[in-house]
Amino acid sequence: MGTIVECNGVSKSYRQGKLVVPALAEIDLCVEAGGFMALAGPSGSGKTTLLNLIGGLDDADSGTIRVDGREYARQSKAQLADLRLHRIGFVFQAYNLIPVLSALENVEYVMLLQGVAARERRRRAREVLAVVGLEGMAHRRPAELSGGQQQRVAVARAIVSNPSIVLADEPTANLDSKTGEGLLHLMQRMNSDRGVTFIFSTHDEMVMAYARRIVQIRDGRIADDLHKASEHR
Amino acid sequence: MIGNLDVVTMELQLAWRNIWRNPRRTAVILTAVIIGVWSMVGLGALMRGILIGMIQNNIDTLTGHIQIHQQAYPDDPAIEHSISDPETWMSAARDALPAGSRWSQRIRIGAVVSNARHTRGAILMGIDPAAEARLSFIGTAVTEGAYLADGDTGGILIGRALAQQFDTRLGRKLILTAQDSDGEIVSRAFRIRGIYQAEMADTEKGFLFVNRQSAQQLLKLGNRISEIAIRLPAHEMAVPVANDLKARLAGSPLRVRAWPEILPLLKAYVEMFDTFILIWFIVVFVAMGFGILNTTLMAVFERMREFGVLKALGMRPGRIVRGVLLETLLMLVLGIGAGNLLGLATCWGLSITGIDLSAMAEGVAYAGMARIITPVVWIRDLLRANLVVLLLGLLVCLYPAIKAARMTPVAAMRHH
Amino acid sequence: MKHGRILGMICLIFTVLAAPTSLFAASAAIDPAALVAAGFDHYRGTASISRVEMRIQRPTWQRTMRMQAWTRGTSESLIRITAPAKDVGNGTLKRGKEMWTYNPKVNRVLKLPPALMSQSWMGSDFSNNDLAKSDSILNDYVHTLTGTENQGEHTIYRIESTPKADAPVVWGLQRLRIRDDHVILSQEFFDEELVSVKKMTAHEIQLMGGRIFPKVWKMRETGKTEQYTQLTYLELTFQDTLPDRTFTRNALIHGGR
Ligand SMILES: Nc1ncnc2c1ncn2[C@@H]1O[C@H](COP(=O)(O)OP(=O)(O)OP(=O)(O)O)[C@@H](O)[C@H]1O
Ligand SMILES: [Mg+2]
Repeated sequence: MGTIVECNGVSKSYRQGKLVVPALAEIDLCVEAGGFMALAGPSGSGKTTLLNLIGGLDDADSGTIRVDGREYARQSKAQLADLRLHRIGFVFQAYNLIPVLSALENVEYVMLLQGVAARERRRRAREVLAVVGLEGMAHRRPAELSGGQQQRVAVARAIVSNPSIVLADEPTANLDSKTGEGLLHLMQRMNSDRGVTFIFSTHDEMVMAYARRIVQIRDGRIADDLHKASEHR
Repeated sequence: MIGNLDVVTMELQLAWRNIWRNPRRTAVILTAVIIGVWSMVGLGALMRGILIGMIQNNIDTLTGHIQIHQQAYPDDPAIEHSISDPETWMSAARDALPAGSRWSQRIRIGAVVSNARHTRGAILMGIDPAAEARLSFIGTAVTEGAYLADGDTGGILIGRALAQQFDTRLGRKLILTAQDSDGEIVSRAFRIRGIYQAEMADTEKGFLFVNRQSAQQLLKLGNRISEIAIRLPAHEMAVPVANDLKARLAGSPLRVRAWPEILPLLKAYVEMFDTFILIWFIVVFVAMGFGILNTTLMAVFERMREFGVLKALGMRPGRIVRGVLLETLLMLVLGIGAGNLLGLATCWGLSITGIDLSAMAEGVAYAGMARIITPVVWIRDLLRANLVVLLLGLLVCLYPAIKAARMTPVAAMRHH
Repeated sequence: MKHGRILGMICLIFTVLAAPTSLFAASAAIDPAALVAAGFDHYRGTASISRVEMRIQRPTWQRTMRMQAWTRGTSESLIRITAPAKDVGNGTLKRGKEMWTYNPKVNRVLKLPPALMSQSWMGSDFSNNDLAKSDSILNDYVHTLTGTENQGEHTIYRIESTPKADAPVVWGLQRLRIRDDHVILSQEFFDEELVSVKKMTAHEIQLMGGRIFPKVWKMRETGKTEQYTQLTYLELTFQDTLPDRTFTRNALIHGGR
């Protein structure tokens, strides 16, 4: 398998009034397809920013980002949206489910956008909810679910569309360690069974332990890039 | 394609749930739309009613749908511009008239009416009582005394307002003075046989009815008449039938006119009202539109994070616009539906008795309006009101929708 | 307004001035119809030239106008206003049933349509319609003698005139007082309900232009004491005839004689 994510000299800074806050500087990063990678680093180091750029949710100031060989700067907004829809799954730091839809519908909605037929949609959504252990809660709205349950729905939503890559921003941050571990196991299974590439940010040592590669970010730069030997495959 | 219908249902469902997320706000928009549409439908129907009342009124009040005169009469309604040998022309014209048409011959000449204490100018109508009754309001308008009988050469019908002004009553005498066909001033006494009521006080004061023979005798007209009035089965036929008559009577000394030509002011009114109704719709909309814009903007900004998520999930910007518009559309359809129902119900309620304007009859008569107004709902007005609200409503919401679609997902998600 | 005002005077003067005739010897036979005829004949005749003052009296105001009038027979007359200054030169010509007015300010002669001719004059107590048709009393009424009274050496006859059925007259009744020398002292008009509407009275009966003639005429609406219209003959001469040119449009514009 080849490279799925390729960042070359990516920089990003935020403007706060007259102040320019640098968030990322000259990031070069390649991620293998099928990888299971953690982005680590202290708070404010630029993890979320990098994930957003990789996901095409924000524009980089300079540098190029390629996902699946497609360079973002050359895509239209609609093309970018389609790319996200079919290739990328997101799990956000805060769960960001759609409040008026039930757990099942939240999961279904992505497939709806993809144009998957209703029966197929329903079947797959139920299947994925079962995978994340929520088959009994399919018809609850987000407000009626706990934080961990919501996060699991978010993961279900991210993987149900069969993306090639899932970007998860601190997926376990709001979970107790047991639930967090359950989620990590789930992600691991997706990774090994379906070959989905995972990039997740965290500052939790326990979570990092699950990763096969750990990229350390400090002050917007890659400080360390550790490939674990225990990689199976 | 299979998924298409089901995408629509899902989106509708989503939109439906979204509009009820903030019931208060939705209620505000709905109320605005309902009141707006209600007033559009209600006032539109009322104006339409006034207009149709005016047309009906004028057509009933001796105008008819078509009039035939001697060429010069319309510009100078003098006695010398009378139609000679009307029967000949009538038989030539008869074929052009659709089934159910009615016509009558009239003398219509300016005269002076007086009694011991009062004098005023009025129009002397010499009518064939039976034919006229089927044509104009006078047949059913006599409220005191009796309608003119055939051959009653000394009888006259006058309006209630004239009777009041002249302080006179049934059986009393009135003197009519006019210029006869030789230019001589002639007078004759008539006895009041009946007193009629009309929609407008001006009509009641302005028209006196006697038998055609009496008028012809008094004015030394022989069998000449002033006009032939024609009433058709429907208003819309007036212009085409008149054109046909014009073609048939081309080269004759006669002039054929349909009511819009006879009453150019009324025609202008009709056109003015049309524009006025549209302007009214837009004015109402502008008031309503600001409300809709404001609330939709609030609703969109409040959910900006959610739009960010949807975009992150891969929703195309166009689809976000569609989603917002769909929500607006749902609310508009709801509001418009309820507004229409309310408006129609109001119109229906008002049309049972009609709105009696006789209290302000003076001003009303001046405008040529009927004393009692019945709202009339025209499908065209209804569609127009609904389209105005629907299209402009969607247009107004395009702004917040595009705003939501334009933001990058990150900016949207950061929005609070 | 001007039309109406002038029109009113004209009609008035037609009636009043329509040229007096020679005095008949008082007839002994008391035929009321003949009495009325004689009374009206008294003012008819050949031709006259006069100067007349007309005063309209109202509770809060009054207006006075002067005019010069020429009459010939019953149907021809010319009247020109001589005062007040703003109305000078206005004139009216009547020939038969036709009537013309002239206004120097617009310098136009206007033929009056029947509606205007039979209009009543605003502010006046005379009904033009009635006055213009003074023959009506002779043709359209049935007369009855209701009494006599003595006034010095004169006898006064009281006559009630009732319109014939369907006669084209507005009055329900007229009451006349005629002196034995055929001077009509008063004429009162009643409506169809026999309620008095107005009354014309003659005053200052004297020898004028060689005839016994009332110098002052007053028309008063019944029930209104402060309100009347009064005609005063300032000068009156009778002639056998007047030339045709007196009753032409040219004379109307440029003056009579
Ligand atoms: N919208 C923004 N405006 C201004 N500065 C921002 C914005 N977003 C992030 N930053 C700044 O950019 C830097 C990187 O932020 P980022 O959110 O990527 O950190 P992070 O590594 O995800 O931190 P955490 O672990 O707390 O989530 C920080 O200094 C942050 O203050
Ligand atoms: Mg972060």
